[in-house]
Amino acid sequence: MSVSPAGAFLGGAKGRLLPASIPLRFFAAAALFHVLAWLALAAGAALWPAAPGALGWPLAALHLVTLGVLGMTALGAGAQLLPVATRQPAPGHRLLAAIWWLYTAGVAVLALGMGLARPPLLAAGAAAVAIAFAAWAVLMVRNLRGARGMPGVVAHGWAALVSLAVVLATALSLAGTWLGLAAAPPREITLALHLVFAPYGFMGMLALGLSYILVPMFALSDSPTDREQLTSFALAAAALVLAGVAAFGVAPAALRWAALLAGGAAVALHLRLMLRALRTGMRRELGRSFTLVKIGWAGLAASLVLALGLVLDLPVPRLATWFGLALIGVWLLSFLAGMLQRIVPFLAAMHAGGGGRRGLTPSALTREGALAAHFWCHLAALALLALAIALDNAWAALAGALAGAAGALALALFCATVLRRMQLRRN
Amino acid sequence: MRQWHSGDGWHIDVRGSPPPQPLVAILKLVRSMRDDTPIVVHHDRDPVMLYPELAELGWEAQRIESPEGEFRLLLRRCP
Repeated sequence: MSVSPAGAFLGGAKGRLLPASIPLRFFAAAALFHVLAWLALAAGAALWPAAPGALGWPLAALHLVTLGVLGMTALGAGAQLLPVATRQPAPGHRLLAAIWWLYTAGVAVLALGMGLARPPLLAAGAAAVAIAFAAWAVLMVRNLRGARGMPGVVAHGWAALVSLAVVLATALSLAGTWLGLAAAPPREITLALHLVFAPYGFMGMLALGLSYILVPMFALSDSPTDREQLTSFALAAAALVLAGVAAFGVAPAALRWAALLAGGAAVALHLRLMLRALRTGMRRELGRSFTLVKIGWAGLAASLVLALGLVLDLPVPRLATWFGLALIGVWLLSFLAGMLQRIVPFLAAMHAGGGGRRGLTPSALTREGALAAHFWCHLAALALLALAIALDNAWAALAGALAGAAGALALALFCATVLRRMQLRRN
Repeated sequence: MRQWHSGDGWHIDVRGSPPPQPLVAILKLVRSMRDDTPIVVHHDRDPVMLYPELAELGWEAQRIESPEGEFRLLLRRCP
């Protein structure tokens, strides 16, 4: 039996494996924006619980999280993981590097424009972000069009891209209104579409779809069947369509009820499939990272319950802020932080291996102390923000933001450690 | 997916399965090994996700000669 060096693996894998610097730069930037997001919230803590949507640092913090952390990670993870799922070559890494530069600068300028209440800056940043997202979407469309297999993941990918188109159109329209331009359709419709299709459409569909690869991969379990994945997908897509139509004022109460029913059923099925994968997997001990993922899933379910409260117009003080905390802080941020803690060392180990030597283990690259610090600070931050909303207390918001910033620094230290150890191994 | 044993060790053919099923099947077989018998993997693509998991288990992989259209790996426990 003749053999070739182990280093040939990564050489042969280059079709689907991007150069390490591409996905890891997106994840490193996400870690940095994570710190900036919490600092922006600290700067705007006095305004946050009562008026989170006006121009100012709370709105900047929100977009540093959604675009800087969640969007940035989605761009990197999508570019690396979708080719694996679709069995297609990875997209061009030079274009992805250009997208990263444009997107990173765009998010920074947009957040400054929001924080300093300067609409021209905000609009310039939004335009850069939109161009970067559109270029990335073109790469993903090419990839999905040639997809072979994994119809569940591919369907979620298409839905995420359609949602992204809605998000970009509405974002540019909203940025235009800050410049004093007339919105078409009216601002309340645009805002309603943006608030549904950004978290549940673009980020949500990507998170749900990629989970069908990532959760079985990390738990070492069988994937849910295509039929199960597609059933959950169909319900989630129906929920988005219903909520989208409702945003235009067509039978809004009834359609929002129907959207929540469909969305609730989609989430219930998805979570059942995910918990089954965890229960039946060979790897039972998934550590704090998957505790964060589970907290994220609880946040997703809670966001739908709170959305029902909004539809029913329940007289709960600051209900929209509660909804935002569950949706962004508890679901998306916890879920993503948990996944990042697994993906970053895994990808780094993949790239550091080869060269005829024994492969490097992901566990050898991690820094447990930093992850523990992030975990407890993240939970403290969420708890303090919940207290801030309940009491409408700016000091609690400030304490929560500072706890979040400490956790984000710990997560950034973890990412830096992984990258440094990977580099040492490669050198 | 099928498995068989021959003179050069255990074989597992995971061609045609979507990710992460090949990864899971290969690691199940690796974890079940009680001795140093090597494993030959018959794949239709380079299983890039497999290598870090193998390293965690103390195994390593090498690409070996394979017919056109197949990606064949030899897995061995690290010395």
